[in-house]
Amino acid sequence: MSGHSLLLASYVPGTSVVHRSPLWLKFLLVLGCGMASFLIADWAVAAGVLALMCGVFLLSGAGASRLVRAVRPLLPVLLAIGLFQWWQLGAPTAARIVLNVLVCVVAASILTATTPVQALLDGVASLAGPFRRFGADPERFALTIAIMLRSIPFIAGAYAGVRDSARARGLERNPRALVLPVFITTVAFARQTGEALAARGLGEADDLDD
Amino acid sequence: MTQTDNSVTARSPRRTRWSATDLGLIAVFAALVAASALVAAIPVGGLGVPITVQTLAVMLTGLALGPGRAFAAVGLYVLLGIAGLPIFSGGRSGPGILATPSAGYIIAFPLAAAAAGWLAVVVLRRTAARSGKIRGVLLFAAAMVSSIIFVHTLGVLGMMVNAKLSLSAAFLADLPFYPGDIIKNVLAVSIALSLHKAFPDLLLRRVRKADVRL
Repeated sequence: MSGHSLLLASYVPGTSVVHRSPLWLKFLLVLGCGMASFLIADWAVAAGVLALMCGVFLLSGAGASRLVRAVRPLLPVLLAIGLFQWWQLGAPTAARIVLNVLVCVVAASILTATTPVQALLDGVASLAGPFRRFGADPERFALTIAIMLRSIPFIAGAYAGVRDSARARGLERNPRALVLPVFITTVAFARQTGEALAARGLGEADDLDD
Repeated sequence: MTQTDNSVTARSPRRTRWSATDLGLIAVFAALVAASALVAAIPVGGLGVPITVQTLAVMLTGLALGPGRAFAAVGLYVLLGIAGLPIFSGGRSGPGILATPSAGYIIAFPLAAAAAGWLAVVVLRRTAARSGKIRGVLLFAAAMVSSIIFVHTLGVLGMMVNAKLSLSAAFLADLPFYPGDIIKNVLAVSIALSLHKAFPDLLLRRVRKADVRL
């Protein structure tokens, strides 16, 4: 896994209306669906909203297979819940509960499928702005996000390497041998990163005690 | 760690500014939790029962970094996962996770890490002169208490809210996670003790420094 593939996550490039609508609008859509999932009491309405959301998703041109891929990891859990609630509360209520979760998940995938991850992360970094007066530092926040992104592939690689060496020593069943070296590497890597930042004058708090 | 640490007081964390090393630790531990959610489960014991490493990484972040930095690291992980990075377990991502039955567990992660960190600092301070064994047992208790109070309680709550399960049904659905949790917390404590031995300035020296001044 490379950092590049991580950033391409579920984004599908395109020029549809959904792609061009602003980030806050799509965010409101997700938020609205989240609220609606508590208010919708009829399974038919939930099914209608789900159809609408699937329509919007397909309108973006991301394709039906992407839609299936966004929902698939959830299906076993939803199936179990659906069957259990069918037994407990009856078919209409069970359908409503499952459909409401699906509405939220599809709405969220509309957001992530039509917005580049970089734009989403910029959105998150800008969240720190209003907290500036409470001591938040948007630049240090953005820097931390960038370091985290860069570190994920490194640590995933450390896990793979440690697993290989544990297997070579016949310790692949020893959880300590599989995990401890990864954490040692992590701390050492974090400190090197900190030193590299300090050496470049990055990341240190301003001494202005405002 | 750096000279700026001298100006840090344990009493007013709000005025504390994190040094560049702290930023590095927060960012890299957030990446560690993310990577732990993506790697395959590791086999434990003779039968090789697979356990996922993610909650292990969350608790270890707490035990290794202490409350403030652990909350920041795990909080950053959750925030970026909700923002759309595919870093939740199973490669899931996006705000949709908050609508799924596992939402409660995700929200609990930063709180559990902070609680484990806070209790770890208390334990490390109180057992400075004792043997390692007592320290290990107490750290295990700290990790267990935080995971029961936050992870399991909020996990049950999440299933009640999002899957509309009754309290007893949600409790039963959460129960199978306990044995794995106990194994993970034992492992987390043993690794945390090794980490503090290897890197005394990670948390131990901070705790002692604060102790002298108090």
